[in-house]
Order: sequence, then structure tokens, then C-alpha cells
Amino acid sequence: MISLSHYLVVSGMLFALGLAGVIARRNILIVYMCLEMMLSAANLALVGFSRFHLVNGLPDYTAQSLVFFTITVAAAEVAVGLAIIVALFRSKQSVDVESVTKLQG
Amino acid sequence: MSVFTLEAGLALLGLVLLMIEAFKPDISRRTLGLTAIAGTAIALVLLPFCGASLPAFMQPWHQIDTLALFYKGFSLVITLLVLWLTLECSPYLTKFTLDGKLAEMFSLPLIVCSGMMWMASARDLVTVFVPLELVTVSFYVLVAFARKSSFSLEAGVKYLILGALSTGVLVYGIAWIYGATGSMSFEGIAKALGNPATSKPAALFGAAMILAGLGFKVAAAPFHMWVPDVYQGAPTPVTAFLSVGSKAAGFVVLTRALDAFLAEGSLIGTEIQAMLLVTGSLTVLLGSLPAMFLTSVKRLLAYSSISHAGYLLLALACRDSARVDLASGGVVAFYLATYLPMTVIGFLGLGLMRANGLGEDIKDFTGLARRNPLLALVMTLSFASLAGLPLTAGFLGKLFVFLGLADHGYWGALTCAIVAAAAGFYYYFKTVLAIYTTEGTDTPALPLGVATKAVAGLLAVTIVVLGVYPKPLQKVLMPASAAVVAK
Repeated sequence: MISLSHYLVVSGMLFALGLAGVIARRNILIVYMCLEMMLSAANLALVGFSRFHLVNGLPDYTAQSLVFFTITVAAAEVAVGLAIIVALFRSKQSVDVESVTKLQG
Repeated sequence: MSVFTLEAGLALLGLVLLMIEAFKPDISRRTLGLTAIAGTAIALVLLPFCGASLPAFMQPWHQIDTLALFYKGFSLVITLLVLWLTLECSPYLTKFTLDGKLAEMFSLPLIVCSGMMWMASARDLVTVFVPLELVTVSFYVLVAFARKSSFSLEAGVKYLILGALSTGVLVYGIAWIYGATGSMSFEGIAKALGNPATSKPAALFGAAMILAGLGFKVAAAPFHMWVPDVYQGAPTPVTAFLSVGSKAAGFVVLTRALDAFLAEGSLIGTEIQAMLLVTGSLTVLLGSLPAMFLTSVKRLLAYSSISHAGYLLLALACRDSARVDLASGGVVAFYLATYLPMTVIGFLGLGLMRANGLGEDIKDFTGLARRNPLLALVMTLSFASLAGLPLTAGFLGKLFVFLGLADHGYWGALTCAIVAAAAGFYYYFKTVLAIYTTEGTDTPALPLGVATKAVAGLLAVTIVVLGVYPKPLQKVLMPASAAVVAK
């Protein structure tokens, strides 16, 4: 039987992997993929909590409604984000984090 | 007519302007800008006359109280100023956009404003999250708007990555708070946190993640690293918008969330309180001390924005300060009201310098007093207020925070705040000194339009009036505080 903690462990691992990727990877596209993974981890935790939080014997759907919003927001974020990354690539011919170090005090 | 129709109307106007620009490419940017400005002005005029009634289905997740109304008015004022500043800087800004157009610069702020107004009324975490992301995603576009400038693009990428990171952290925090308390609404969360059966580690983890996510948005240490780069790279009107609008929006959400997390008898109250004090103290120091060694005024204003976020966090940590008749949410609102005119003047000055072909470094401000005495005077007033000189608005905001800290006996945090304020005097007055230096520079005059003079004068008068006679504003914010204290 799969319990709530199984979902939480998987979601925690996904979140940690995403965070590690954001910190360690040098390619902005991969960093961006890791960010999306963190959002998916949060969604998984939300759905898990929602499914196992029973109100009158039925799952509580408030958290699942947030998941739909999160997915929509993530889609909007990807659209805008990729546009900015493409613009960066056009101007610098690179999507490495080293290419964005011009702003300094 | 209820207040939320204004928000819907603004978002609609933003979309209409976007469509007009897309399908009628020969329309002048002046027409677009003035339409946006007129729309915001109308909404601002209508705001006091709107009813606070809500249909039954909205009541569980939407509220219109004094604090919400105050922040709605605040969002409208800053949007109005930003739109006007954009129009003022447009001849310069268009050099850096792809086809010399600025359409989204006029429609996106309207959508951002609608999001900020919606957020002020949020009553649960879902209605916090959606408008917060509406604001953030629109800001990604605005920051990277001057695409031909590699600085703007770089700022856009940095804001994008760190903004998306904070979103991830925030949603993960929401998931855990929901898991621990079984509720998404602030009331439900406050009630569950008062129940000893609630899992404390899960609730604490969730609350800390939510605070970290919001900390990114308001530029709290240790999540403030993006601020100087993004503020420096973004187009000046957008920087002003980020620095005032985005921060205010973050703080209204923080106020509401902390009212739930720190409610009477909350399980996680002590820990969250300590976290706020430490973060606030760190933020004021990390905002003020590095700023002493800077040469760019725009970057200096970015660090100033960080340290002001620190004072605001410290204000939130003092729950009810008896001496100023305002609860923490009221003090924060008051501080932000004083912060608006002084910051906008700072960025107005920077924008005008840029529009006249000058740079943004302290040395470019040398001799400004001879170029344009009025602008020099207004900027001096704004910097004095940012530093917290008595009889300016900024002084009272800081005083309220210091009094609150002293009342609660948070001496460590108070020391940090005072050290930061002293450092602030040094770097703000370094710039003021440059403005009044006259030696050895050729000084062509820097002409100002009538509208610019009027707006700058109005903002300067606001600074002085709020600094000398703050009672009316305190009265406006009192009901919000009374409700909190009564609870």
C-alpha cells in the first residue's frame, strides 16, 4: 500500500534534485528545466496531501485546485522565460551562466 | 459597484491596449501612454466611492478591509507614476527596444497593478499565489524589455531564474503548510496552528519555505543577491516599479501570512518571530554596509531598497507597538507610504539624467545644483528622507520601527538597525555632497518640463507633509490596526 510518506519522499527528492541542479549547472536552459522540476515536486506534494486529507471520507480538493493554477502559471512562466533565454542567446551566442556577469558594482 | 470591478477593468484595459498596439501598429506611443494613465487615474478617483460588498461565493477567499483598500490605492498611485515616468523617458528607452516601440511598457503595468490590487484582498494562499505570479511574470517581461541593451537582458535572465526559484520554494511551502494544517485560508491556518495536535515540524518547515519564497520577492537577506544586478540593469521606470510596487505587494502578503503564523497561541510563533528578527537585522546590515563603497547611484538605490526591506521586516516582527497606535501591519503600511515618494523622486532624477545623456554614477551628479537647482533640491530632500533626517517622512517611518523594537526589548535588532541607519547617512549624503559640488565641471543646464516639475514638486511636498503632520495617514490606518489588536 502506497502511503502519504511515499509521495512526500519522492516529492522531496525531486525538489532537492531540482535545487541542486539550479545551484550546480552552468547551462541556463538546464537550470530552467530544474526550476520546472521544483514546481512539479511541489505539485506532487500538494496532490499527495490533498488525497490523504479526508473530509467526511472524501479527499479535500482545495489543494488540487491550486495544482491547476500552478500548472497554468508554470506554462506562462516557460513561455516568457524561453523568450528571454532565446533573446539572450541571440545577443551573446551562449546560454552559459558565465555570459551574464557584466552587471557589477 | 464593488472595488473588484476596478481591478477587472484595469486588466481589461491592459489587454485592449495590447491588442490595439498589435493590430494598429501606427498608433503613437503618446496616445497609448496617455490612455493607460487616464485609465489608472480614473480608477484611483473611483476607488474611494466603491462599495465593499462582495457576492457570497467570493467571501471565503476575498476581503476588502482598510489594509486592502490602502494597498489598492497605493498600487494605483505607483502605477500612475511609473506610467508617467515611462512616457517621460520614452525617447531614450525606445533606442533599446526592437522596433522603437513601447506598447507593452504601457499595458503590462496595468496588468501588474490589477494583480497587486487583487493580492491586497487575498484571504487564502491560492488567491495569494495567482496574483503574485501574475505580477512576477509580467515583471520578467518588463525587466528584459530594453532588449538591445545587454544589461537589461542580463537583468531579465537573473530575475527570471531567481524569480522562478522563489516561486518553486513558495509553492512547496504552501504544500507543507496545507499538509500540516489541512487548510489554505489564513483563518483556517491560524486556527490549526493554535491546536496542539498539529504537527509542529511540518508547519514550521512550510511556514519557513513560504517566508523564504516571499523573502525573495521583497529582497530580504539572504535572498537579496539578485536585487542590485536586476535593479541596475532594468529600465529605470521598471526599477522604480519593482522597488516600490513589487515590494509593497510582497509586504501586504507577508502581513497577512504573519497574522496567521503569529496568531495568539500559535505553535510556531516563537520560531517565526526569531526568524523575522534575524532576517530583518541581517537585511538592514547587508543592505547598508556594502552601499557605502558604491559609485553607481542606481545600484545605491538598489541597496537602499534592500535595507528598507529590512526595516519593514523588523516592523513586522514587533507585533503591536503600544506607543504609535499602529499594529505591525499599520506600521508597515505607513512606512511604505513614506517610502513611495522618496524612492520615486530618486528614480525620477536618474531617469531624467539618462534622458539628457548623462550617466548614473555619483560623479555624474556633480554640479547638478547648477544645472537645475529645483531638481537638485528635490533630490536632496528625497535622499535626506531616505536617510531618515528628522522632519522628513523617512524619519517617522524609521522612528516607528525603532520605538517598536525598543518597546519589545529587541536590543540586538535595534543596534543593527541603528548602525545601518548611520551608514545610510554616510552614503546618501555622499551623493548629496556631489550634487552641490561646483568645482571644475562644465555645466550645461538640464531643462525640465512643466509636468515634471509639478510631479516632482508634489512628491517633495508629500515627503515634507508626511514628515511634519502624519496624523491623517495614521488615522486612515488605525481601523486596520484596531481590528488586529482586538483579535
